[in-house]
Amino acid sequence: MTALQNTTDAVAAEPHEDRAFRPSVPGLALRGLVYFGIAYVVLVLLTANADRAGKAADAVIYAMVGLSLNIIIGYTGQLSLGHQGFFGAGAFAAAYSLTVHEVPFVLSLLIAMAVTSLFALVLGLVALRITGLYLALITLVFGLTLEVSLFEVEEFTNAGAGQPAFRPDFLVEPFRGVENVRFYYFCLALLAVVVYVDWRLTRTKAGRALLALRENERVAAAFGINVVAFKLFAFVLAGAIAGLAGALFGYRYENVTGADFDFFLALTFVLMVVVGGLNSRVGVILGAVLFSPFGLDNLFKIPRIHDFLAGVSWIGEQRVEFMPRMIGAFLLIQTVVLNPGGIAQQLRPVTRWLAGHRFTLHGDKDSGPGVVEGSSARA
Amino acid sequence: MIRPMLLAADLTQDFTTPLVSGAIQGAVYGLLGLGLVLLYKGNRIFNFAQGEFGTVAAFLVLVSSTGAGIFPKMPFPVAIVVGLVAGTLMALVTERLVIRPLFRQPKVTMVVATAGVALLAISFELFFNGTNGRNARPIVAGEAIRSGGLSITWQQVVIVGVLATLALASALFFSRTQTGVAILAVSQEPTATSLVGISVNRISALTWGMAGFLGAIAGILLAPTTLFGPGFMTTSALIPGFTAAVFGGITSLPGAFLGGVLIGIAEQFGNKIDLFPGANRVVVFALLLVILLIKPAGLLGKEA
Repeated sequence: MTALQNTTDAVAAEPHEDRAFRPSVPGLALRGLVYFGIAYVVLVLLTANADRAGKAADAVIYAMVGLSLNIIIGYTGQLSLGHQGFFGAGAFAAAYSLTVHEVPFVLSLLIAMAVTSLFALVLGLVALRITGLYLALITLVFGLTLEVSLFEVEEFTNAGAGQPAFRPDFLVEPFRGVENVRFYYFCLALLAVVVYVDWRLTRTKAGRALLALRENERVAAAFGINVVAFKLFAFVLAGAIAGLAGALFGYRYENVTGADFDFFLALTFVLMVVVGGLNSRVGVILGAVLFSPFGLDNLFKIPRIHDFLAGVSWIGEQRVEFMPRMIGAFLLIQTVVLNPGGIAQQLRPVTRWLAGHRFTLHGDKDSGPGVVEGSSARA
Repeated sequence: MIRPMLLAADLTQDFTTPLVSGAIQGAVYGLLGLGLVLLYKGNRIFNFAQGEFGTVAAFLVLVSSTGAGIFPKMPFPVAIVVGLVAGTLMALVTERLVIRPLFRQPKVTMVVATAGVALLAISFELFFNGTNGRNARPIVAGEAIRSGGLSITWQQVVIVGVLATLALASALFFSRTQTGVAILAVSQEPTATSLVGISVNRISALTWGMAGFLGAIAGILLAPTTLFGPGFMTTSALIPGFTAAVFGGITSLPGAFLGGVLIGIAEQFGNKIDLFPGANRVVVFALLLVILLIKPAGLLGKEA
């Protein structure tokens, strides 16, 4: 009996020697302190003023998109270059149903998710026949088509002026005297739900099925995995999450225009997921924060940094605003070429330590919690 | 007597004009598609940086012909050579620093890397140029044909001519020369190819150099037709270029030509649909979807 338990334990606890490792009391206290610090920054420091809370809400929304895109790139191994399409469709669906058809706020979020799920279902059906680069091209053209057609329909865009999407009272009312703070907390709560869903996905049959499908579809089918159902499920789930994020994006600025969802946004989404680290929740979220308006853009707006760079003779005032893009692109290339695991791989010793394992710089590649396995998208 | 004449006028309006202007616009897509096909033949990837080889070349032609920044003012033909060299060099550097380390990685990784190269190039263009649009000098000025609503400039004639020549020449290169066959061999069986004494690295560099050269030609020819700014090739021509290449058959160089022209024409006729905005793009999307579902190899492609 005990022997059996031991073997199952050994299988469950992948990292070899870590099985016996229990953090000491000071170790636990130190980890607790770090968690407390993170919680303090996220919950208190970022809500110090409305502007900061608003930008933090952007970061949270981008993190949702990142997790959604990670389902497609990381779990199914397909490249989606049209995620701005889902994002925008969600924003328009929520704003349109709320403002024109006067549905309740929560229902508008659900409508946004339903609409984008439907789009994703169609793309998923295409993905059953077409994979790899051709599918990437299809998603790209899908996003562009939505951008130039659906997002330009006058009824949706309020004749080009933008569809208003006013937040309900409970997200506007002053909370400690600051308007955006409540909305930020609201987004944060929804992100927590998304993270939970994503975590359950990787820990249940569906996640393992997707992993098997990514590695080899025929072998997976031979083992009785329903290829059609799980592929469509992954696309629909990703679409729904992106739609939710899009709806929140609409409520963040309380106005939705088609110009917000261009092809470069789709590239930014891919960028942040790859730089963050495919298949790693922590990495994707950090990547999203870095590439959201809250991250690099904001960094170069910090007066001291901005003024220093503007003072350098060959940079100058106007060129500073292009520096975040340059650094973002450079980060992408260096991640893909030198460091395919992205930020997640760099931080693995720390995340492993925080999860209660021993701190080592040379641990297993993928023994961290929540990692499906492998770190690069496959064609 | 009046009725047939009216009919003829209507025909020009409704049919000939979009056909001709579509074909010319399509030639532009085909020119970009040519480089994309070349790299697909060589590396089995879609190169998202292809457009930027052209933009960078166009910018260098501009600054070296006007003598802006650190560049001395050069005669126009010399400036064009500078632009072509810049586009080729950029492709070679991309190959060496980004593509070659990723040879053994999944293709999607490589594609994301080329997108990164494009973004980096655009950010550099923004850094040095700002968001302003620029006017480039056409290679040949003036209008060749003007009748009714139809107007064709000499520059457009040159574009179509160059595209046809390049498509034919590169098709011959792949079918008739040993180097062309070697490029195909590397893309299909890198290991076996190196075993028979062909340098995979050298072939890869050659392919990318050629693609950069083609991209530079496309950029230099296209820049004078619009007000061009950072990333203009990527935003205006890259996506239709992909569509053209895939539509015509991603492995076929004449296919890129044919696909480009057909896509251009389809877009022009799509413009006539007034049902919803962006109908021309929707038409192109539908065409692409249909061809990928029915004949994934494209019109003239041989292998899937």
